[in-house]
Amino acid sequence: MFDHDFLALFLEIFLINATITSPIYGVVFSTSKRYDYPPLVCNVGWLGLPSVLITILLVAAGALVANLFYNNLIIDNFTYFRQIFPSLSTASTIPTCLDYFKEESLNAPEFIILILLSICSMFFMILAYDLIATYSAIEPQSLCFYVIAASKRDSEFSTEAGLKYFILGAFPSGILLFGCFMIYGFTGVTNFEELAKIFTGYEITLFGAQSSGIFMGIPFIAVGFLFKITAVSFHMWAPDVYEGSPTLVTAFFSIAPKISILANMLRVFIYSFYDPTWQQLFFFCSIAFMILGALAAMAQNKVKRLLAYSSIGHVGYLPIGFSRGTIEGIQSLLIAMFIYVLMTINVSVTVLALRKNRLKYIADLGALAKTNRILAITLSITMSPYAGILLLAGFCSKFYLFFAALGCGAYSLAFVGIVTSVTSRFYYIRFVKIMYFDTPETWIIYKPMDREKLLLLAITLFSTTSFFLYPSPLFLVTHEMALSLCL
Amino acid sequence: MLQFPALSHLNLSGLILRLLLGSIILLLIPDSRIQLIRSIGPRTFLITFLYSPFFWIEFDNSTAKFQFVESIRWPPYSNINLYIGIDGIFLSSAVLTTFLIPIRISVGWSSIKSYKKEYMIAFLIRESLMIAVSRMSDFLLFHVFFESVSISMFRQRKIQAAYQSFLYTLSGFVFMLLAISSISFQTGTTDLRILLTTESSEWRQVLLRIAFFASFAVKVPMVPVHIRLPEAYVEAPTAGSVISAGILSKLGTYGSLRFSILMFPEVTFFFISFICTLSVIAIIYTPLTTVRQIDLKKMIAYFSVAHMNFVTIGMFSLNIQGIEGSISPMLSHGLVLLAPPLCVGALYDRHKTRLVKYYGGLVSTMSIFCTISLFFTLANMSLLGSSSFIGEFLILIGAFERNSLVATPAALGMILGAAYFLWLYNCVVFGNFKPNFLKKFSDLNRREVFISLLFIVGVIWMGVYLEVFLECMYTCVSNLVQHGKFD
Repeated sequence: MFDHDFLALFLEIFLINATITSPIYGVVFSTSKRYDYPPLVCNVGWLGLPSVLITILLVAAGALVANLFYNNLIIDNFTYFRQIFPSLSTASTIPTCLDYFKEESLNAPEFIILILLSICSMFFMILAYDLIATYSAIEPQSLCFYVIAASKRDSEFSTEAGLKYFILGAFPSGILLFGCFMIYGFTGVTNFEELAKIFTGYEITLFGAQSSGIFMGIPFIAVGFLFKITAVSFHMWAPDVYEGSPTLVTAFFSIAPKISILANMLRVFIYSFYDPTWQQLFFFCSIAFMILGALAAMAQNKVKRLLAYSSIGHVGYLPIGFSRGTIEGIQSLLIAMFIYVLMTINVSVTVLALRKNRLKYIADLGALAKTNRILAITLSITMSPYAGILLLAGFCSKFYLFFAALGCGAYSLAFVGIVTSVTSRFYYIRFVKIMYFDTPETWIIYKPMDREKLLLLAITLFSTTSFFLYPSPLFLVTHEMALSLCL
Repeated sequence: MLQFPALSHLNLSGLILRLLLGSIILLLIPDSRIQLIRSIGPRTFLITFLYSPFFWIEFDNSTAKFQFVESIRWPPYSNINLYIGIDGIFLSSAVLTTFLIPIRISVGWSSIKSYKKEYMIAFLIRESLMIAVSRMSDFLLFHVFFESVSISMFRQRKIQAAYQSFLYTLSGFVFMLLAISSISFQTGTTDLRILLTTESSEWRQVLLRIAFFASFAVKVPMVPVHIRLPEAYVEAPTAGSVISAGILSKLGTYGSLRFSILMFPEVTFFFISFICTLSVIAIIYTPLTTVRQIDLKKMIAYFSVAHMNFVTIGMFSLNIQGIEGSISPMLSHGLVLLAPPLCVGALYDRHKTRLVKYYGGLVSTMSIFCTISLFFTLANMSLLGSSSFIGEFLILIGAFERNSLVATPAALGMILGAAYFLWLYNCVVFGNFKPNFLKKFSDLNRREVFISLLFIVGVIWMGVYLEVFLECMYTCVSNLVQHGKFD
């Protein structure tokens, strides 16, 4: 009876198999005396990349709509498009990290494998249609992340980051689990569809609560999720982890988990628990998010910390989209998500490319306009969407978010959003100032970047700059996703 | 879905695309071949300029509609379309833009030492944006393009001025964006042609009008927020970008004419007294403050502030004379007010100082310069027969009809301006020569004289026969006045 189900999960099965074969290959050959104990990280990487690409092809080819495994997993338009995002982000992470391993002489093929494994669990997380399925998909993903955050064992920062991430990742998992328990205990179901039936017209208002257990459960779930997407007031671990862990790990952290967790949040909170009460929670969270992201990023002088805060701020714009639960809002969230992924790939690739001589402080970028002009232009163009400069993709995404917020009457949200995006331009100008106008005493000459990074940079830069010329496809796709989620 | 406009000979988007094409070609040429860059860049400008009079010739004066209309479908589900067209109000000004920008390039060229290619490309993109701005009938896009122009201005040397102008323009941007979004949600579109037929409640109109005012006041600039302009002028590297600042403020008045007066006619009446008071303050205050400046460029900047406020008085007299009078300085400004910066640029290139006290007695060494700058000084004082005379005269007539109390101090401002210009000319040209400071003497070279002659011809032509420019805007302006029931 599972025939159909296994067919629908073909790409997950493929990816898991591919992931399992590569460590076998890695382990066998890197410990072989005959080949003089070769460092196999690049080989494993080049094996992992095509398997991700094939997965993308499989995602694109198999447009199936089904409920699987007794309604524990679901495949619809929403999941189908959503899976492409994490695969793309992995497909961009793997080629950038190969050069990194070579340079740092870090022989860790397990890194690639862990990334692939976490992608598998992300897939399941996006497919999850049950609280238990959600939780059991989040955990393997987080486990992989704890390990790769601490992957650079000889660096104190990396181990510290790994430890921090572990503690502050296990904690929200506990909270999430507690929330799930409460919901289960007071309703008796964990399936999203059944939950949705229960919660239709339920009204969980504070004083009219029919069940205080449910009233407790939902915030616990929300807090657990918000921890994971580094929401403000639950964000304290993020800058440290981002700074401490190796740069490519940072790049991966700021893209992939956010996609999958937001996808799951949408599923849970738009479909199952649709109610204005928790929407207030995201409303205030979003405001705090934006304000902190803009203000804290201003005070940073280390590149990776700045990226961490700007990522916090940027993700903070996303809950605008679903703090009111309109289709337009969800659509704008998805658009913003896509553009955020593009931009973050671009920025992190740039930072990776500038890694030689340990780019640590923003001041190290001084005179970049003279030493590496193209990179300087790229960085200033890519940083600008963070600030919402016009006519670039970042502006379009933010504008559509504000548009959606105004459309559902969240005036204060739109106002705060615009004010913070204006103030965040301040640190964008600081970047440009440092690169173009400062002349530091020691000029840091960076190594030219390899071809994979160049290609990635070119693609992402082109798509961010020329996005506004033809935004229709993305709008259509996201609209379809939002529709299939809500209806 | 997407109709790419063909590059036919009479096509507004062709005009814009041609410039963009030029900039892309320049992008592909290596830096070292400066001769090639130098020949391609100006040629692109020249072609654009040669095309633009066709629009003027083909223009139908008898209608207030947009002409040469093209539209490109943009994101679905939101009625924001790239709708390009031109109306009588801005026709001649747009033609003038294509005339002025090549001149600016050629003026500034020799003093730009590095980044010549970027300089050229920036100008190409900027011109295409400026042309695009003047042709947008959708005011979201108008605003977006407008902001993009101001951002492409962001390349000055001293960062202080850039920060300032950035923050100032952005503060206006915030309100504008909110206003636009709320309008679009009320009516479902941001197309001006449709919006003119809609009505909104008075309270709402007042709020929107304030938001629009906040945005345009920065651009015009009105008194409390005019500080940005002198700073930007002083820090601008050459005569080239000084002038762009001039055009930007013109676009500001144009925008406020088309978008705020036309859109909220009833509420505009409430604001007349407020805006006129601000303008009168500026008119009296800025000439007085120019006298205590010691920097040549700053002086001109302050004078330009006074001039723009004169224009707003004309505009808010809300009758045909006043509005036509306020548009024609936009044209004559381009020639008259922007000629002194050229002169200052010429002085600066020779002597590397802009401080007034180092200059004096130039009449004995630079006689051609003195003659030409005398002409422009007189033209700036709106001497009868120069292009600025008719415009100011019309403004005063219009203001008198509306409110003679406003017209009187405005006329006083003219006297102050004249006094100041004569004083400046006296300081620089006559008096004792100061050989201690000025070591090299060279009169204007052939290129500079040629450019000045172009300006002189333009000034006299406009001064004697402004009818050519006025007749194409008459229908539009009278339509505007009728629409607002101002008479």
